[in-house]
Amino acid sequence: MKPGLRIDTLRVLGFGRFSGLTLDLGPGLHLLYGPNEAGKSTLLAFLRSMLFGFEKRGQPERYEPAHGGAFGGELTLTTHAGPLWVRRIASRRSSEGELSVRDAEGKELSKESLESALAHVSRELFFDVFAFRLDELAGFERLTEQRGASEALVAASMRGARRLPEVMDQLRKSTEGIYKPNGVKPSLNETLKALEDVQARLRQEGDRPARYFAEKERLGARVEEQRTLEAELLETGTGLERLTRLEAALGDVAALAQTRAELATLPALESFPEAGESRLEDGLHRRRSYRAEGARLAERLATVEAGLERLSAPSGVRGREEALSQALAAYTEGAALLRALPSRRAALAEKQRQVELALRELGLPVDGPGLLALDLSVSVRVTLEELALRLGAAEVAHREAEGAWARAVSERERLDGALARVDAEVSTLPEERASRIRQQQAGLGRLRTVRAEMERLSEQRAELHRQFESVRTQGEPQVTAAVLPTWWVPAVAAMVVALAVTAWLLAGNGVGALCLVGGLLLTGVLELARRRVEAARDADVEAQRARQRWRQQEEERLRAALMGLSAREELLHRELLSAASEAGLNLVATAADMAAREAVLADALERAGRREQLQRERETLHAEHAAARREEHRASDAVAEAESRQEQLGTELTALLSERCFPPTLAASAALTLWRDTAALRQRLLDVGAEEAALTVDAQACALVTSRLWAEAVMAELLPGATEARELDAGVMEPLASRVAAALEAERARSLERRTLEERRHELRAEKARLDGLCHDEEAALATLLAEGGSADEETFRRRAAQARRYVELTGRTRELSHRIEARTGLSETPARQALIDVGGEQGLRVELESLRDRQGGAQERLKAVLTERGALSHQLEQWENDDALAKLRIVEESLRARASELAKQYAADRLTLALLARARRRFEEEQQPRVVQLASEHFAALTQGRYQRVFIPTGEERELRVGEGQRDWSAAQLSRGTREQLYLAFRLAVVRDFGETRGALPLIVDDVLVNFDPERAQGAIHLLAKLSEHQQVIAFTCHPWLRDAFAAEGARVQALDASTSEPPAPVSVLKAG
Amino acid sequence: MPFKFVHAADLHLDTPFRGVATQGPLLGRFQDSTFRALTRITEVCLRERVAFLLLAGDLFDVKDRSVRARLALRRELGRLDAAGISTFIVHGNHDPLSGDTGALGLPPSVKVFGPDWEDVEVKREGRRLCRVQGISYPDVEVRDDLSARFRRTGDGFSVGLLHANLGSVEGHANYAPCTTAGLGSRGLDYWALGHVHTRAEHLLPGGGVAVYPGNPQGRHANETGPRGCMLVEVEDGGMRRRFIPVDGVRWHKLEVPLTGVSTLDGLLATAMEGVEARCAPELDGHAVRLTLTGRGPLHRELARPGALAQLEVDLREQLARSHPPVLLESLRDSSRPEVDLEAVCAAGGFARTLLDEVGFLAEDPEALARLWEEETLGALSQRLKRLGVDALEAPRAEWVVQAGLHGVESLHEEEMS
Repeated sequence: MKPGLRIDTLRVLGFGRFSGLTLDLGPGLHLLYGPNEAGKSTLLAFLRSMLFGFEKRGQPERYEPAHGGAFGGELTLTTHAGPLWVRRIASRRSSEGELSVRDAEGKELSKESLESALAHVSRELFFDVFAFRLDELAGFERLTEQRGASEALVAASMRGARRLPEVMDQLRKSTEGIYKPNGVKPSLNETLKALEDVQARLRQEGDRPARYFAEKERLGARVEEQRTLEAELLETGTGLERLTRLEAALGDVAALAQTRAELATLPALESFPEAGESRLEDGLHRRRSYRAEGARLAERLATVEAGLERLSAPSGVRGREEALSQALAAYTEGAALLRALPSRRAALAEKQRQVELALRELGLPVDGPGLLALDLSVSVRVTLEELALRLGAAEVAHREAEGAWARAVSERERLDGALARVDAEVSTLPEERASRIRQQQAGLGRLRTVRAEMERLSEQRAELHRQFESVRTQGEPQVTAAVLPTWWVPAVAAMVVALAVTAWLLAGNGVGALCLVGGLLLTGVLELARRRVEAARDADVEAQRARQRWRQQEEERLRAALMGLSAREELLHRELLSAASEAGLNLVATAADMAAREAVLADALERAGRREQLQRERETLHAEHAAARREEHRASDAVAEAESRQEQLGTELTALLSERCFPPTLAASAALTLWRDTAALRQRLLDVGAEEAALTVDAQACALVTSRLWAEAVMAELLPGATEARELDAGVMEPLASRVAAALEAERARSLERRTLEERRHELRAEKARLDGLCHDEEAALATLLAEGGSADEETFRRRAAQARRYVELTGRTRELSHRIEARTGLSETPARQALIDVGGEQGLRVELESLRDRQGGAQERLKAVLTERGALSHQLEQWENDDALAKLRIVEESLRARASELAKQYAADRLTLALLARARRRFEEEQQPRVVQLASEHFAALTQGRYQRVFIPTGEERELRVGEGQRDWSAAQLSRGTREQLYLAFRLAVVRDFGETRGALPLIVDDVLVNFDPERAQGAIHLLAKLSEHQQVIAFTCHPWLRDAFAAEGARVQALDASTSEPPAPVSVLKAG
Repeated sequence: MPFKFVHAADLHLDTPFRGVATQGPLLGRFQDSTFRALTRITEVCLRERVAFLLLAGDLFDVKDRSVRARLALRRELGRLDAAGISTFIVHGNHDPLSGDTGALGLPPSVKVFGPDWEDVEVKREGRRLCRVQGISYPDVEVRDDLSARFRRTGDGFSVGLLHANLGSVEGHANYAPCTTAGLGSRGLDYWALGHVHTRAEHLLPGGGVAVYPGNPQGRHANETGPRGCMLVEVEDGGMRRRFIPVDGVRWHKLEVPLTGVSTLDGLLATAMEGVEARCAPELDGHAVRLTLTGRGPLHRELARPGALAQLEVDLREQLARSHPPVLLESLRDSSRPEVDLEAVCAAGGFARTLLDEVGFLAEDPEALARLWEEETLGALSQRLKRLGVDALEAPRAEWVVQAGLHGVESLHEEEMS
């Protein structure tokens, strides 16, 4: 048996309903007995969790304490590497909890040390085989399935194949992920499917180069055919065109023949004058119109002659037009001036009156000439303006100085008021320093802290004291096993000897010897019993001493801790005193006192702060007040200076004004205004004088013009009866001027009319002469035309003209038809007619045309089809030449082949590995399995009192567990429930033992697995467990008293679990352990 | 009269590249590279003023059905024709005569050998330069030794043009199999061979030489290194051969040892450094397959799900930004945990049983075949074969050994975790 792991103590900090539970276990067989809900399953789960981690959150087996608090516990283990202390506490980071492992010296070890102590057993195997409940006992069935039992057994017992199930599982997953013979989704299946698809598409594409070259050949044939068709079309087109032209010229040929026949019926009229009839009519018409025009001209000439005679009557104005016109023009020029003279005189008088009125309004002691004599030069005005400016500036300075003085006075008065307010407020605040108050507040804070610290200390002290008391009062029951005193043995021996001697004396040698031997034997037995009892008592005493020693050490530790707390308390007390004196409180001050004191100190601190602030403010105000006073003095000085300056300037102004006859009391600005008004008035006076002179000159000029016009009118007899000139004002001159103008206009009109009539008479005479010439010419032309037309009179001429018109028409028609025939057929008339005859006349032509058209249509259709096909072929070939779709498909095909090859090799490798592992496993089972199966057979035979003698796993693919009795065998499913469970237990014990021998002895933990066994087989099972416990720890749970008794009878250490409390159970009895 | 000729083979014009994504900027660069290799061969011919060009089969893949490939061939050979350079072509298993090779419409100076042996004289300025003999594949599968039909027909330099597997090289279909002794016995001076994509020269008994120029453009991670054509100069009965690389995109297989690398960043830097050191800047692009090897602390970190894939993505992005761009074909993890197999065997236990089972299967082909069928790998193999996927053709003992080691390592890794 290889050293493994043993649980010495378990301490539950918090797990399910347990908290603070401690159990001592140690080697051997242990039974934890308790009624239902005492927590047996919880403890099983606790041990599982401590060794392998808590279950996941939310799982019922996690057993997280319902009311919070610590979750976890500690185990003390004995392992092949020495004692280990294992602690696992729930953690937020990991659902398994935080594991810490330490050695005997408290040194932290790695987690692997615990796994190593557990011989690297997997969590699943441990839960299945080493720590299980009744319901999980039957769960062993799945281990007997094909995949489970043998692999688990190999894994459980074989070095080098600990993870065989996982490896095989991985390989199975890998192979299934790669390929399934009838699968669709595995990668190789998908790849092969894709490959099939690609190959199908490639097949669809066909043999492209063969098609390419075939199509190329076809394209060549089509090109040739196209060429032939085009030649044929050309030829057909030519013939068709020729015949079509002939067809078009058919009508023209017929018409030409008809025209020529009609032309033959007419006389020769080539020399008849062209357009002779219209020329004759035109000549006759022109002759008639010339004659009518001559009559109209003679009438118009008579009218003109009469008008000229009327205009030659005598007139007074004629011969004086020039002088009259000049006099009238001079008058017209001066008429406006003449009309304006009276209004200008009135306006001048009004201006003179207004100037005089304004002079009087100015109030100056001068008249008009006096005003003109006053010195109002620019230099005087400048002096006056400068003086006014200076006076204005002096006044502004004076106003500013007064404003500054007023502001300074108000500022000083405001500061006086502020100073008074600050002084009043300072006088109401008490004189106390802020630093002193802050010191008292700090003392108060420290007092509070120290008090809290002291309270915590007293709690710790009470806790320690309680622990100390509990340790001190924890008593050990005295070992009261009665031991026979040693002297009893010789005494009994002496009595035996005495009795033997007596018997010898009474009954002889034989009886005496017999009695002696019997007595000595009894004495020996007595001695043996005494020694055994004494040895047991010694062991208990030793254990009790050990516990006593631990208790004493614990007491010492707690006492030292208590002393440390006292010292700390003393220190805190001193600090409390100093803090209280500093805070101005006594030691017994309550929390309310401290709060009141704290409020008072805060208030005082605030007032002291306000007082300091006010004092700083008062000092600032004093400084500002002094400055305001200085400012006030400065402002009053400035006011006085401004006033003196103003006075000096006033004096200068008065002197200046009196020199200019201005009122001396005038202000500077008013004097300046008065100066400006006076100057303006003087200017107006000058302007009125100039205007008066101009008016006189204009009146003289008007008088000259009017007198000249009067004289001219009289001479032209326009004023009959007027002999001499009188007052020639505007009222007289205006009608005169109008009359002169009208007479001049009438004379001018008569002269113009006479000139016009004379020109007209001349024109009419020239026109009459021209018409006479034209009439004569026309007569001569008519005679010539009649002679040309071979006619004696106009009627004959008209008849011959009609014949000539028809002749010309027919000739033109003949020419036109000949041209059309030539244009349409390209032939002259005779060859065209010959061609028509050759083709068989009109009927033959139409038949031939129809035939050619059919041929042409057919050829065109075919050419179209050939062109379409050629385009499609070219496009297809071009596409094939540049299309890489096929290449891509081939790339995909090759890629898929490569991938399929890789996957297939991987699949084959995995399958072979898997097969090899399976074959090796079977071979191993055949060679190595007997050890486990033999053990299971032994155990099962023992459990069933020899009813079944053999357990075996048949070779082959059926990996089920079977039992036999020599003659026949059964599968597990065929057994009764109890027997089946016994079989599983037997097998499990075999695996546990084999594991212990090959890898390490681990504790076996079973939770009420024997309840379905009959008492006899249960007894057998417990015996097996007891036997197993000689080599490895066995921990059993039960709630059944009969099982408890049976376990006790097998020497189990029985501990009771109380259903009502989680306090550590008291040992019931100590019979045997180890 | 001295003359030169160029010998190229296995152009595989416009055939797809393996491991190049169908999307992305590098696809066009890769897909055009076979065409550019042919263009460069033409340029070599023009520059060196060679007398003729030999193309020893597999000019394109019939199954690719690429029109562009045929047009490119016609265009480039047209350029040679215009320059007065003849071309001799035999067809191989990928472009047999039974395909559409007759409709190529090649220029008149191109001689395509038929399914029967032919011997052609090459002349310049009325004087004979040499003789060229050749046979094309009538169909894909030619299992006869076609070289046996060749023979020396006269004095002067003689060239045999053939698509064949000399020495039955593995990894290539064993078509027209022949031997060096067989070729030597034909008495030709130069065997211009095609079919094997890796460049090789075999000196023949009797003084001749058989040359595989390799394919002019590598197309997958197993066709690494420079690829090109062979320029042969013949003068006074002797010859000089010079390999001229014409590939635009070059493949590399690099191993990145995990030893001494402790972080993923360090691994990334090591990989980048290794790639940059191998990738010549004058090419159009590179493609690499990286394999992580050795044993190191990063092995376990890389074993995490998705870790290797993420590393591959990062590396692919970084390499694609290089100049010239580098395509990461794949990143493979061949690193191993530290397992002492001898110690495992010596210690017995399950691993020993496993290795015993491996030994048994490796030595018993029948048992292995049974296991192969039990695991339904035979059916999968048939399905793959139907789809033209080269994998799992037949059970192999080394696969079982690898699987056994994988099992031991997996169990070991689990022990360590």
